[in-house]
Amino acid sequence: MKTILHKFLSVFRTLGEVYAREFRTIRRDQGVVLFFLFLPLAYPVIYSLIYNRELVRDVPMVVVDHDRTQQSRDLVRRMDAAQGARLAGYAADLAEGRRAINEREAYAIMEIPEGFGRKIGRGEQASAQLYCETSLLLRYRSLLFSATEVALSMGADIQSSDIGSLGMAGLASGDPMPVVDGELGNLQSGFDSFIMPGVLILILQQCIVLAVGMMGGGRNERALKGLYTPASGSTLLTMTGRAGCYITILALPVIWLTHYVPVVFQFPMAGDTLEIFAFLLPLVLACIALGFIVQLFTSEREAIFLVWVATSVAFLFLSGLTWPRYAMAPVWKLASDIIPATWGINGFILMNANGASLADIGPYYRNLWILAGVYWLLAWIIQKYMLRVRLRREASRP
Amino acid sequence: MKTGYLAIMRRTLVQLASRPLYWYAIIVLPLLLFAFFTSELEEGLPVKAPAGIVDNDHTSMSRRVGRNLDGMQLVSLTKECDSYSDAMDALRKGEIFGFFLIPENYEADLLSGRSPVISFYTNMTYFIPGTMLYKNFKTTAVYTKAGVVMNVVQSATGAQADQVMPLINPVNIQAHPIGNPWLNYAYYLASSFIPGVLQLMIFLVTAFTICDEIKRGTSVRLMRMARGSIIRAVTGKLLPQTLIWVVIAMFMEAWMYGFNHFPIYGSLFWMTVSTLLFVAASQGFSLLVCCLLPNLRLSLSVNALMGILSFSIGAFSFPVSEMYGAIGIFSWIIPVRYYFLIYITQSLDAMPLYYSRCYFAAYFAFITAPLLMLWHLKRYYRRPVYEP
Repeated sequence: MKTILHKFLSVFRTLGEVYAREFRTIRRDQGVVLFFLFLPLAYPVIYSLIYNRELVRDVPMVVVDHDRTQQSRDLVRRMDAAQGARLAGYAADLAEGRRAINEREAYAIMEIPEGFGRKIGRGEQASAQLYCETSLLLRYRSLLFSATEVALSMGADIQSSDIGSLGMAGLASGDPMPVVDGELGNLQSGFDSFIMPGVLILILQQCIVLAVGMMGGGRNERALKGLYTPASGSTLLTMTGRAGCYITILALPVIWLTHYVPVVFQFPMAGDTLEIFAFLLPLVLACIALGFIVQLFTSEREAIFLVWVATSVAFLFLSGLTWPRYAMAPVWKLASDIIPATWGINGFILMNANGASLADIGPYYRNLWILAGVYWLLAWIIQKYMLRVRLRREASRP
Repeated sequence: MKTGYLAIMRRTLVQLASRPLYWYAIIVLPLLLFAFFTSELEEGLPVKAPAGIVDNDHTSMSRRVGRNLDGMQLVSLTKECDSYSDAMDALRKGEIFGFFLIPENYEADLLSGRSPVISFYTNMTYFIPGTMLYKNFKTTAVYTKAGVVMNVVQSATGAQADQVMPLINPVNIQAHPIGNPWLNYAYYLASSFIPGVLQLMIFLVTAFTICDEIKRGTSVRLMRMARGSIIRAVTGKLLPQTLIWVVIAMFMEAWMYGFNHFPIYGSLFWMTVSTLLFVAASQGFSLLVCCLLPNLRLSLSVNALMGILSFSIGAFSFPVSEMYGAIGIFSWIIPVRYYFLIYITQSLDAMPLYYSRCYFAAYFAFITAPLLMLWHLKRYYRRPVYEP
């Protein structure tokens, strides 16, 4: 009985030692502090500011009006008033319009053919052409939405007056089948509110892996100078103690990323705070283990930059945030399955934007725990191997 | 000890070849990411977004709406839900990205003129599936409505079909996306993100090789080999890398425009010139950062930050004109922004070279800028101090 108690106490003492020692190491290492605290604090703010205007409004457009009637001017006025487009001026012909596009004074040419007004007067369908420069899809999207909106509203006005003239006063005012649309989650369909909540989770993952990876490089450098003695106790105990230290430090960035950044930038926040923390726990654990694994490749502290920074871009795509997972090739889908941020991002945005509960996203939560388990096992094997290599090197030192 | 350009270059090549880290960062990772961006986006447009339908009417008319929906290019009706809350649950679980709702008594209300309300919901948390479903849901709703209006007007007034047809859609604005009529997403993303990846790796490797000399204290020996000239030292270190990067960059161009048949409407010659200058400009940017902050960790941090931010601040998706002015100006200090602008003007929009003149000039600014600050790097190269 006594021996069990003793063992228990000694495990705790070792854990405490590792924990305290890791804290001291981090405090002296500016690079790691930068990754753990400064990066998650500053990066989401910069990133959110870039997209904070959310929508592409008032894309300039030139008009080539071959018709010059009241109806064609009405069309132009409506386009100018729409959210997505703005009248930059008139052009005599398409060539002049093209010149305006080359000079970047406009991004679209609207050509109204002769007879536009006459066709409306005769009750025929009148069409106009909108040529859009497509270097940016968002600009095209704004123009297209405005054009559709204008065509429908102008059409509805003509319809009601024409149907009235056909002798159906009743139908002219009433709508036989009203259509209601609801945009969920991201209420204003803005770009910032769409991309940022997912990016927040990706930032969390990358910061953890970068910081833990750099810790490994630093330890390696100190070991080469003979300044490092491995901790007493088993490898698993050392890893647990260190992970405990990282989790303590990470409390601050996690609260900042999941609560304050969404508050400041008015991102959707429909999730339950405690449930979100519970959801992020396996993500953090899996990322720490991933960091332990990456330590295998960071022989010096700064190597982690070359090893890991560029992966962020790929992970953002693999998460299915910008390019949906159902349209991915099987091999990339598999790759996306084994990245913690994939499940973290999808679960987090469903919770935060769509108000899903932890039970709703149960499968994501389960996958995160599985990943955490597998990565910890892998990390344990790798850390054991690294320790053996290090000890052998120490032994061979004269 | 041999001195001069050739000796330094030979030393650099040996350094590059002897560390697996460089092989990984210069060849393996960039090529892997090139392949990733082209093959992941191969489809061009993600079709068949999973969606649900709530049919509370269960009549032939409501079922026809469902069939029409399922026939749309971008929709795949994967789930039939019993109620609004059932559909909302599926949406919250991430199983569907939107749903279409047909109310009770839809057919009866329609036939008796009681204006039934049709509604659809899309999850805009997922931008692309949400927008696509919105587009197809709206089309279905508009056409269903048009059919209804036509029936009602015809039966009420006795007007002929050809009289009523224009009433459905009196004004039609046809949008023509010039340059990318397929609205292929890959052409945008791959042609901006792949150079972005190249720039990021050039930033990191340049900063790593330049400042690692200071960290290890080997810069003293390097300066002796350069006979005290910082220009000779830096050129000897960077020129071999430039050559390797040029090979990678040429492969990148061949990969995009050759193997993957990305459209190129303008001049391949000027795109190639741009690619070559882009490599040198990226090195110049990174070298400038190293001159200002001659410390391995700091210069790598700044280069990594700028390299990653380039993907957003480079305005490949969200235009600079819509950003806050104080943020938008940063897009002018990164090389890949100019690569992107030249790609648009020279390749996508096929404009005369005249309209790209400033962008080419910007490359030269990046290449020459570090010359002004090399004296600062020289001081640290002579007396290397490593501050972790």
